[in-house]
Amino acid sequence: MKRFTLLASMAVALVGLAVVGGLWVSPAGAQRPYEGQTIRAVVNAEYVKYSLSLIEKDLYDKLGVKIETEVIPLDAFVPKTLLEFNSGASPWDLVMFGPSNMPDYGRHFEPLDPWIEKLKLEFYMDDIADVYKKLMLRWAGKIVSMPYDGDVHIMFWNKTAFERADNKKKFKAKYGYDLAPPKTWRQWDDQSEFFNGWGWDGSDRKLFGAGASYKPSASGFSYHWWRARFFAYGGQYFDANMKPLINTAAALRALEEMVKTMPYYPPGVLLFESEEPKTMLIKGEVPLLYSWTSTGKRVGNPAESLIIGKAGFGLVPGAEIDGKLVHRPSMTPGRAMAVSKYSKKKEVTMKVLEFISLPDQSLKIVMDPKTIMDPWRVTHFRSEKFRKSFPGADEYLDAIEKTFPHVVPDPVIPGADEYQRKLSFEITEALARRKAPKDALETAFGEWEKITDRRGRDKQKAAWGEKLAEMKALGIEYHPDWAAKAK
Amino acid sequence: MAIAIERSRVSARRRNRYRARRWIGHALTYLGLAAALFFFLGPFFWIVTTSLKGNEDFFAYPPAWIPTPPSLAHYAALFTRSSGARYFTNSMVISSLSMLAALAVSLPTAYSIARWRFGGGFLSVLLLVLRMLPAIALIIPIYIMYKMFGLTNSYLGLVIIYTVVYIPFAVWLMVGFIRDFPIEIEEAAMIDGCSRLRALVQVVVPIIAPGLAVVALFAFIATWNEFLFAVVLTGIETKTMMVLVTSFTSGGTDAFYGEASASVVLGVLPAFAIAFILQRYLVKGLALGGTKG
Repeated sequence: MKRFTLLASMAVALVGLAVVGGLWVSPAGAQRPYEGQTIRAVVNAEYVKYSLSLIEKDLYDKLGVKIETEVIPLDAFVPKTLLEFNSGASPWDLVMFGPSNMPDYGRHFEPLDPWIEKLKLEFYMDDIADVYKKLMLRWAGKIVSMPYDGDVHIMFWNKTAFERADNKKKFKAKYGYDLAPPKTWRQWDDQSEFFNGWGWDGSDRKLFGAGASYKPSASGFSYHWWRARFFAYGGQYFDANMKPLINTAAALRALEEMVKTMPYYPPGVLLFESEEPKTMLIKGEVPLLYSWTSTGKRVGNPAESLIIGKAGFGLVPGAEIDGKLVHRPSMTPGRAMAVSKYSKKKEVTMKVLEFISLPDQSLKIVMDPKTIMDPWRVTHFRSEKFRKSFPGADEYLDAIEKTFPHVVPDPVIPGADEYQRKLSFEITEALARRKAPKDALETAFGEWEKITDRRGRDKQKAAWGEKLAEMKALGIEYHPDWAAKAK
Repeated sequence: MAIAIERSRVSARRRNRYRARRWIGHALTYLGLAAALFFFLGPFFWIVTTSLKGNEDFFAYPPAWIPTPPSLAHYAALFTRSSGARYFTNSMVISSLSMLAALAVSLPTAYSIARWRFGGGFLSVLLLVLRMLPAIALIIPIYIMYKMFGLTNSYLGLVIIYTVVYIPFAVWLMVGFIRDFPIEIEEAAMIDGCSRLRALVQVVVPIIAPGLAVVALFAFIATWNEFLFAVVLTGIETKTMMVLVTSFTSGGTDAFYGEASASVVLGVLPAFAIAFILQRYLVKGLALGGTKG
């Protein structure tokens, strides 16, 4: 009897422990529903891998998932990833890509809508800046990706250069109008000429007129710097019949202006990628620069910036057409994240995509000065934390938000990267004075025609037709008369 | 007497002129060498110091030539955050195995070509033709083949391709070394009872060792620095150091100048160390291949 009582009480104790244990375990299980799972992501630079590391702890705490990230260097990224995808498989679950390459990648991605319904995912679509929703997320009419890096160009200036009384006086005497951050390309060129070669900050240093990136590497820096002028002068990539418009009057005017103003830029500008002019801006060596918005975070980073609180932020200059200012800043190329169609872990990867896109998690990524990920949610622009993160951060975020309605996307058609590289090479040839601007643009025209023929004119025309309609809806059309009219 | 004095003055003047000319010659040589050293080692010096600098010193003006105090933080970050240890190990394993495999395959091939004209001259020409094909022309068929055989993202796959790519160069070098080796010594060893294989391993190899060192050195460096196959045929587990270096240095390094520099230093260090260790064989080996018996 005694033995029975002992056994019974032990059994009761065990059952009790199991129940308590179960209660204790189950909330954690619910909290980390995918405990022990690891997904594979692929990105194109170490700093993108770093940006994912900013959310990995929270991701593990909430979902129990770890991300193993493969970095494929930028220049090899598109060929290598497409090679894998085109073989009908992919070692990755989560894929970072440039949205301008969507026509090449889109068919390898899993549409999000069925999963949104199935898993009750929340991507807060109303909180995504309109331009990304319209241009970056879809393939064949379906949403297949979420933004990760909202790349657009804005203008940065050093307020010291524009506020010194002596500078204002000298400028007005020479050019006949008041010195203020430029609104048109003509003003930009006047000011870069004015500021070049002397200490506009009051020092004895020989400073430069403006900064720029003119190297034709990656998808083509010099091309990205040219196109803001080209579109402001009424340019467009192709006409409706897929004939390139990159040798038109708008294109020529834009390039000739750039060639003419080359002496006002720092020596070596033809070899500059994105970081060199940013560094010159934050060290107070150039008074003007238009570049990617991540520049603002370097401006506000006390570890390296000498112009904290002295920087201005605004729209990239444009052209005055019939008394109205037209701004055409570049939206390029950006980064987005998608789930591979070939992934064997689609459900958990969808949950990860939702998690990294959440307003609070994505804010961590776009706020960090060491990432070059730029804001893309409305809540990013209006986040009090972000707006107070450095002196002038509020002006910086306002400038980005004001830029969105004016941006021009990349030519989002198959082979976009190839078209851009060819044109960029020719632009740099002209900037280096190895070719006349007209010859360079004619050569680029021929190269674009060859690419179109090689990829199939009808196929390219159909893809471009869709983009042409989207751009028209944004108010971007070819205006052959603007190049002559633009002031 | 006067003539004798005049002669000694003239010869002293000549001697002085000769000395001055020699001194100027030496000075110009050293000046040229210093300029060449500055030109070639200057960027490397800058990379090494940048890898040891704090973030605030990257763009300091005047430049911080020597970091005070030097810090290994960027190396630590490379190994903790960026899987540097894994990539470094991969490179060491793949380069070493490829080097050994290239030697193991090339030596008997070269021996048979040198001693018996194996392949009747066709084989050596074919090998040379293989060498002429640029890697970029082969990469897609190789990728498809590797995918079929499940060789992508594996050590074996990389070792095979590097060995195959390097064999023609190794064979051509070794054929020269073996042809220059007196056949009489080999025959003497065989008369003393050695088999041909034993004569090759115990007699020929020790004597042409400097030549083999050159082949090994080039094989190691070529494999260590190779990028195209390393980026296309690998995955997370098998990426090599050169891929890591490029993933830091392409597309804007932004705030990661320190890690980027550290990755470059680590990327070149082993090849540098191997070259340094084998340098005494290098000159001997190159001279060995160049002599005619």
